[in-house]
Amino acid sequence: MSARANIAGMAFAAGAALWFTAATGGRAQQDGHASDFTTTEYFPGQKQVKTILSGAEAIPRTGGLLIIKQLKLQKFNTDGKLECIVTAPECIYDTKGCTASSAGPLQLQNGDGKFQVAGEGFLWRQTNSFLTISNQVRTRIENGATANIKP
Amino acid sequence: MKRFCLIAIAAGCSLMAQAQTNATNTLSTPRGPTLINSDSADFDLTGHEATYHGHVRVDDPQMKLTCEQLIVDLPAAGGRVNHIVAETNVVIDFLDNKGQTNHMTSEKAVYVYKVENGLTNETVTLSGKPQPQMENAQGKQSGDVIIWNRVNTNTYARIIGDYHLIAYQHFSGAVAGTNSSAASTNSDAAAKTTRVPPDAVENTNPAVPPGQP
Repeated sequence: MSARANIAGMAFAAGAALWFTAATGGRAQQDGHASDFTTTEYFPGQKQVKTILSGAEAIPRTGGLLIIKQLKLQKFNTDGKLECIVTAPECIYDTKGCTASSAGPLQLQNGDGKFQVAGEGFLWRQTNSFLTISNQVRTRIENGATANIKP
Repeated sequence: MKRFCLIAIAAGCSLMAQAQTNATNTLSTPRGPTLINSDSADFDLTGHEATYHGHVRVDDPQMKLTCEQLIVDLPAAGGRVNHIVAETNVVIDFLDNKGQTNHMTSEKAVYVYKVENGLTNETVTLSGKPQPQMENAQGKQSGDVIIWNRVNTNTYARIIGDYHLIAYQHFSGAVAGTNSSAASTNSDAAAKTTRVPPDAVENTNPAVPPGQP
């Protein structure tokens, strides 16, 4: 079985097709681990990319869980513009519930990087693109704008 | 000698004046980042909305804000934050263009930023019960709604509705029995209070409270 097929099979397990619709690379090992993988989800009925998920390692666990290390999720809008990037050193992806969670750190930023968020502990609900950060939330907004001062 | 200065938010008072929400004749300078810290937060990436919960603190180049909940409309790439709602125990401190500290409290504050016809509008509207208050060295004012104009630094607030004014008395020189400078002595005990009936509609010039000649 090719590496591509292995990764795809792992990710699609137990109905994870909502999350991944194609795997585009990486290396798979016989124990089911995968490394340096990237998967792409498309908007329904379109060739337009909706999300790109990549990781340094993916380790399957019982119950449809998948441990992903060095997670990077990129979300695009229908115009192809980058909406946001989510990164985390590690998380657990529940292929049944289509959620990702971790007690560790997470970073989020919008497409141009002017809205940046960091925090500890998170739950990502893929079905409605809803992210909860549980602790120590820190946001930095680059106003990009200007303060108006009378001369 | 004790010089008595009754400050009734005189005409030249920098405390408040008529709001002009259109910025004209201004220069633009880069503004630093805004930082938001909180206990937790929810991000609705479909609805493009962030909700911060618990011990929310906003550090902005122009102000400090604390509250219990803050809802931010997330900007698209290339855009900027243009709508924020702060709720529950909202406290805002900012320096005006004269370097004077201003302190505002309310149950709700709504920040709006928009550009129309080339003019920038940037306001913070305070409302809720108890009445929003705004205080600085000259006095304390409250009303049903306080609108703070963040664009025009010379005229920046308007009070609407049931209006209250406490104007602080200022003393120059030493106050008997203390070593403190009178200039730094501001207390409610030495204040003049003005209350205007609830049907007062709008106060566009706090120097003359609504209902007063």
